[in-house]
Amino acid sequence: MPEPLLALEAVTLLSPGGRTVFRALDWRLERGGRFHAQGGAGAGGTALLRLCAGIAEPESGKVVLDGVPLAAGARLHPFLARGALGWVPSDGGLAVNLSLLDNVVLPLRFALGRGRAEAERTALDWLERAGLGPVRHERPAVPGNRDCWLASLARAAAKGSRLWLVDRPQGGLDPASIQAADEILREAGRDPEVAMVLVGSPWMAGLGQELKIGKGRVGPGGEG
Amino acid sequence: MTPGDAEFRGMSLPARWASRLGGKVRRAFAQLGSISWLLSGCLRGLARLEPEQRRVVAEVTRRQIRFTALDALPICLVTALLLGGVTLLQVFGQLSAYGVESYLSQLLAQMVIRELGPLMVGVLVIVRSGTAMATEMASRKLSGELDALCASGIDPVQYLLLPRVLGGVVSMFSLVILFDAVALLGGFLVAWLRLPLSLPFFLGALGQAIGHRELAATFTKCLVSGGAIPLLCTAYGLRVKRSPTELPQAVTKACVASLLVLLLTGALLSVLIYA
Repeated sequence: MPEPLLALEAVTLLSPGGRTVFRALDWRLERGGRFHAQGGAGAGGTALLRLCAGIAEPESGKVVLDGVPLAAGARLHPFLARGALGWVPSDGGLAVNLSLLDNVVLPLRFALGRGRAEAERTALDWLERAGLGPVRHERPAVPGNRDCWLASLARAAAKGSRLWLVDRPQGGLDPASIQAADEILREAGRDPEVAMVLVGSPWMAGLGQELKIGKGRVGPGGEG
Repeated sequence: MTPGDAEFRGMSLPARWASRLGGKVRRAFAQLGSISWLLSGCLRGLARLEPEQRRVVAEVTRRQIRFTALDALPICLVTALLLGGVTLLQVFGQLSAYGVESYLSQLLAQMVIRELGPLMVGVLVIVRSGTAMATEMASRKLSGELDALCASGIDPVQYLLLPRVLGGVVSMFSLVILFDAVALLGGFLVAWLRLPLSLPFFLGALGQAIGHRELAATFTKCLVSGGAIPLLCTAYGLRVKRSPTELPQAVTKACVASLLVLLLTGALLSVLIYA
């Protein structure tokens, strides 16, 4: 059996209030695996993404990414340090003191070691595909949540991420933005090695296999 | 944790107080440990920088120097001018009582360069930049920006902390040099109004008063406090967990800890160098 890209081994996760979100959860994501997570608000979709990104620390069990356990407080995980994770949280997770363009450029330079000019070209290309060309020099507070989420998606695409963890955009998207986001995700999905976990929005359903989240469990549609 | 807490029920009052004291000591050591961890992370991060990362860190450091040094220049220079003048007035009163006004410039130089310059600049840096750093780090942590940075492959120690520490050292050193120069100028202006003192004589006496020890002391104090202030303020900012109400507490603790370190290291270095 080939080594999975991501494995959750007997993971128990508690919410900040002490509620059990996942109990002794085992789940594997193979390279090239694409999932679209279903489940109502509070079912644990965002928590699953945060676990997979190493942001939420499990109460017990471990999360193994690309063969190396994610450990809180340790040095940056090698998979993350290579810029291979495309993290797209609901609010975009952008640095508020940088413009949208600089937010996309920064990981290209810092994690991938690309020169400023090349990084700016790549970033601009993906921001334009996301429909953000005209607001590229604005800081995240100005364009609003929708554009921050799209910029975050452009950042993940520009890095050539191998694992995409995409949460539902805060406040939803208009049809034009949905089309732009769908095209970016499909473009990224052309690479058979790229894995994706998409949470929430119904328009993402066609991009991956259904994943049921609820009652502390995660599984393919119907097995939840 | 107070002696009235449930976990201390059944303990005698002295035992409760001892437990409380023990808790404070443990927390103090934990805090020291996390600051040491950040410092070592900073040094390791500096050694591991790739060429493009170095360019990014240099850009952020330049920005930090602008905020900490350049933007603080007006308040720093005004404070220096007033402090130099007022200090000279006080010193002049004491010296003239003994008829030894000729030592005026030497005494002023030693007071300003050895002690007042690094101390006052340190206080200004804490008040202007230390508070800003602690607030910035706390808000970045609360908004999830730090998590997003890590997830994007950017080491926050290299990208956020290292430039602040480097910028802090450079800013502190530049500000102290300017502060000393302007404070001495302010002192000379006041002296010139009250005494038949010429600029060449004043500068000559200054030259005699400033030696290698003064320069070494200034450099060491700038290095220590310029590095410690950003490190402490960042560390306290990063200690917030969930609630925005923790933010003002973090900023206050960062300021108090930075002031304590500034005073203690200043006093310790002075004793080591001049005693």
